[in-house]
Amino acid sequence: MTEINWEKAFQKAIEMAEKSHKPIFQDFWFDG
Amino acid sequence: MNTGPYSDKKVQQYIESEFVPVKSQCFWDKRTEAMKQFNISWTPTLIVHDATGKEHHRIVGFVPTDDFLAHLKLGKGKMFFDRFRFDEAIKELTSAMEQHPNAGPAAETIFYLGVAKYWKAHDPKGLRWAYDTLTSRFPQSEWARRAGPYKQISL
Repeated sequence: MTEINWEKAFQKAIEMAEKSHKPIFQDFWFDG
Repeated sequence: MNTGPYSDKKVQQYIESEFVPVKSQCFWDKRTEAMKQFNISWTPTLIVHDATGKEHHRIVGFVPTDDFLAHLKLGKGKMFFDRFRFDEAIKELTSAMEQHPNAGPAAETIFYLGVAKYWKAHDPKGLRWAYDTLTSRFPQSEWARRAGPYKQISL
């Protein structure tokens, strides 16, 4: 089963996206 | 934890292969810097950004799996569209239209696909195609009305 490896820091995601040339998908969620 | 649409294998594979995924937890009693930065006022809010962090598509509220995948592809298509990369935009938007023909964002997808076809070839037939397709398949949609002026284009 594929798991989604979520990044937590947006700036880190930008660094990863710049290297991989992939767009970023960001999920704002609330645990309520 | 992967719940909702994230429990679907197709969603997991698509996100992992096509995006850098980020989860940002929200707190209403003390808004986070990310909530302020992206003007988050309800959850879930889902955003597609390009690799520089510029926003191209936003979804507010729960969406089921088929709509979810269609939104991701539309978001990627709009990212290419906004950057004038029309071949790639057409590829993503066509995939969204063909694989998710009745999903929530289908009408918006057809509209952008028609405009991308126009920009690619500078041929107004792409706009007329959008009008014809939208009035045929989604006549009550806002996107059919937005394509209304393209009715004047002769084939």
